[in-house]
Amino acid sequence: MSFFFQELVNGLTTGALYSLVALGFSMVYGVLKLLNFAHGDLYMVGAYIGFFVIQWFGGAQHLTIAVPLLLLIMFVLAAVLVGGLGVAIERFAYRPLRDAPRIAPLITAIGVSFFLESSALLLFGAQYRVYNTAEFISLSSGIQIGSVTIDSVQILVLVLGVVLMAGLQLLVNRTRLGRQMRAVAVDREAAEMLGINVNFVITATFFLGSALAGVAGIMGGLLFNQVTATIGFIAGLKAFTAAVVGGIGSIPGAMLGGLFIGVAESFVTGYISSTYSNLIVFGILIVVMLLRPTGLLGRAQLQKV
Amino acid sequence: MSTGHEPPGDARPVLELDRLSLSFGGLRALSELDLQVSEREVVSVIGPNGAGKTTVFNVITGVYEPSAGDVRFGAHPGPAQSIAGQSPHVIARLGIARTFQTLRLFMNMSVLENVMAATYGGTRAMPWESVLRLPRARREEREARALAEEVLSFFGQRLAGYRWDQPAYSLSYANRRRLEIARALATRPRLLLLDEPAAGMNPAETHEVTELIGQIRDERGVAILVIEHDMHVVAGCSDRVVALDHGIKIAEGGFDQVANHPAVVEAYMGRHPEDLAGAE
Amino acid sequence: MSIDPQGPKVGADEWVARQAHRREYLPSWLGRAQQAGERIGWWPRLAIAGLAGLALPLLGLGGFQLQVGIDALVIALLAVGLNIVVGWAGLLDLGYVAFFGFGAYGYALLSSSQLGANGIHLPYWLSLPIVMIGAAILGLAVGLPSRRLLGDYLAIVTLFLGEAFVEFTNNVAPSKLGGPNGITSIDPIHAFGVSLNTNESYFYLLVIVLVVTMAVLRLLEYSRTGRAWRAVREDPLAAAAMTIPVNRVKLSAFACGAMVAALAGTIFAAQQASVFPTDFDTPILILIYAGLILGGIGSIAGAATGALVVMVIYDGLLRSPAEASILFYGLGLLTLLVKLRPWRRLALVLGATIALGFAAYAIANAISPSVVAGGPQTAGVLGDGLRDWIIVPGNPQTAQTAGNIGFVVLICLAVALVQVKGRWRTILLVPTIYLAAFVWETRLVNEPSITRQLMIGAILIVMMIARPQGLLGQRRVEVAT
Repeated sequence: MSFFFQELVNGLTTGALYSLVALGFSMVYGVLKLLNFAHGDLYMVGAYIGFFVIQWFGGAQHLTIAVPLLLLIMFVLAAVLVGGLGVAIERFAYRPLRDAPRIAPLITAIGVSFFLESSALLLFGAQYRVYNTAEFISLSSGIQIGSVTIDSVQILVLVLGVVLMAGLQLLVNRTRLGRQMRAVAVDREAAEMLGINVNFVITATFFLGSALAGVAGIMGGLLFNQVTATIGFIAGLKAFTAAVVGGIGSIPGAMLGGLFIGVAESFVTGYISSTYSNLIVFGILIVVMLLRPTGLLGRAQLQKV
Repeated sequence: MSTGHEPPGDARPVLELDRLSLSFGGLRALSELDLQVSEREVVSVIGPNGAGKTTVFNVITGVYEPSAGDVRFGAHPGPAQSIAGQSPHVIARLGIARTFQTLRLFMNMSVLENVMAATYGGTRAMPWESVLRLPRARREEREARALAEEVLSFFGQRLAGYRWDQPAYSLSYANRRRLEIARALATRPRLLLLDEPAAGMNPAETHEVTELIGQIRDERGVAILVIEHDMHVVAGCSDRVVALDHGIKIAEGGFDQVANHPAVVEAYMGRHPEDLAGAE
Repeated sequence: MSIDPQGPKVGADEWVARQAHRREYLPSWLGRAQQAGERIGWWPRLAIAGLAGLALPLLGLGGFQLQVGIDALVIALLAVGLNIVVGWAGLLDLGYVAFFGFGAYGYALLSSSQLGANGIHLPYWLSLPIVMIGAAILGLAVGLPSRRLLGDYLAIVTLFLGEAFVEFTNNVAPSKLGGPNGITSIDPIHAFGVSLNTNESYFYLLVIVLVVTMAVLRLLEYSRTGRAWRAVREDPLAAAAMTIPVNRVKLSAFACGAMVAALAGTIFAAQQASVFPTDFDTPILILIYAGLILGGIGSIAGAATGALVVMVIYDGLLRSPAEASILFYGLGLLTLLVKLRPWRRLALVLGATIALGFAAYAIANAISPSVVAGGPQTAGVLGDGLRDWIIVPGNPQTAQTAGNIGFVVLICLAVALVQVKGRWRTILLVPTIYLAAFVWETRLVNEPSITRQLMIGAILIVMMIARPQGLLGQRRVEVAT
């Protein structure tokens, strides 16, 4: 039974990570109706940034600054840089195609994803970069509930994840920017005619979504230790699954979807086998798509004839 | 002024809407609508925006399924059958064709291809027959092309000759509307639904459309249901006029009758300020 | 000029209407070539291309080049099939490569020693129809969700189905499907007493199959089926109102596309004599799409041509650095020749770039010779010309770091180029070209596999923004619904 809860905790932790990536993905889709295939690669860039910050401050074994400060710098830097990268991509690759048929930005997004991955390979090389989290965050410091261990990295991920998700919910539902984002998501032209600066809103959405992906990348690096150019692809796939299962365009849906996928993956790996975990996650997606295409929390879009 | 053209009194209706109702959640789009169109009859549907006119077309053509009531269509000389709930392409094959309020042409296909595409339901050649140029495929292709050319020639020089190979997006607005009507005619319909055929047209073009509707009825023996806002068209081509408001039929009859009906005037113009003041 | 009240002046209007598509041709001399080609007619062009293809091995195409040709032809066949689904029916199928894999694995299972005691060794004329029909059924199954899914959702589902295929063949029933080690010792194609054992024979077969497939599809394109596909892409609602059974038509597109892919798969499996799960992963899908986008979605000739061009460059970059360099500089010059008009501007830019290069080299050499100690990777005339022009640091480590930095700067410059116009663009072009050559010599030429992936990504991005209809496609007008 404790195995169940342990797997649950593990699943929720990775689920929080997936949720963060799925959130950014869902936000961008809501506002631009664009499936940003390059989103997963932003996660990868965030993970690399974390690695290089660790190296800058002496490497995992000989850190020159305190760990909390290191974490703070890592997260802030990833958020800002990856957010900026996302904004740049939107500006130069997607904005020219804003009124083009849907297939165009989709293809471009695939191209951007491929380009980002290849660039990372070129600039950083193909070898795995290792965070060596255990060196600076002691794994034994965590909490223990019964026989279920939640180590400190997991606590960090869970807490930060919850904080960010709550913050995003607040932003979308209680602030002016959030209102504008929701308006643009419903009808971009009408929002523009009401005086909303649509370009700014879209830029802000991309920044936020990409920043979240970058932060998730750091989390991924801390949790999974290994960083390489191709982690973005798999992360992206899981994020799509999460966003779509939860209902694409819906923020609570992305959160729910991410947790769901994380937990499902954890249980499948724990109880069945890790070889089938990807396959089963894909299966979940396809089943959900066939039975309820709008996802668990999504809303069907009415078309005026 | 009504055209004075009398519909055949004993003709069985081509289209019959029987207490048709449609609701979208809490919104009642159509309520208990009764409507009939007989052979060789032109019926106009008028009403303010939002009255449910295009919704009626959508229900007839199978885009929406009615919440209550029935739609009956007399496809052949024979008993009318209920078509409520059938899919659009089946209904189209039975003999109901339409044009769209917002123009839905196949923009990147040529004029001729737009019209020939509509002959799909009337042909049966399978892909391999087309590839191997078997006799049935060749014959059907020839006939489809002949039908398309004939239907396009209905509009005189406007959609003729070199225009056939031009992409539809290169046509002027008025020609696009004509093309849509031609495309609908290529399905060899028994009932034609025209959704605001004169929208956006200047007086000369509007007059042409009015004449055209009468021509279609006379030369091709098609029953026509027209949604229009332009009263010149309605007056000039209708045998009968039906007025809708908020999904309910509020008047029916000849043009003069309906145009002056108090409920219709109120629907379009609102209540007379004196009446409003008096009501308080 | 007074407006004629009598109506359209057919003669004059006709001439005007016919000129409208003149703008659609490729720029400068490429466009003139295109026009000349169009005068010949589609079928003669296909025949000429087919004959040229058949003649290639006779002209001495051999060894590595022959393999490149075979790969290119396979991708071209796949692109032509994908065109049915994406270009004609407008269904964004991101799992297309799974049909390719199905065809390959299907043939591998039916015509090898894999299954049973000694294996089933069906001759090709038996296994091919079985595999193609199976693929058609699979295509129908995959197409079923398209009934209820709008474009984006369909893209996701098909993408995942494609991934699921790779996972499936990698993990499920390893004894039958071979797992990560795939299936080997697949029979070559045996049919009607003929056995294809050499690469040349597969090359000829592929040329013939490609030409025949293109011909069949051309006949389909202008048949009722093709019109129905295109009508469904344009406006499914209007198509349904015009008697077209939209769902059935979409399914038929999936099935036809799947059959073409399976056909390609069988030939691929027979020629390679082995199949592995990684042969059918996303990078191959992206290659097919790159070819289709470059050549022009919606055009059969475009799909084939684009795929051939992409594959020749893709594989060509894998050659020795010297030859890859020739390809790089050649393509670069070609692009400049085509895009930079008039001649004066082209000459100005080229002249300035050359001058800048020599100047920079001379200055760097004067400051510190080791900075320029490394040389370009080409030999011969090109190499001699480049030696005093391009700065390549002698120390490989420095070269790598400098190249990396240069790469990032180059991206920024390219992006800036898009933003500015006119004179500033011409001015900015000069350092950009030099920097591109610099990055090539220091980094890209040493990492061919990464470079070609970068190129594919760049093709997808640039084509969609600059020329979405591809090289040979028709410009489309989309009405926002």
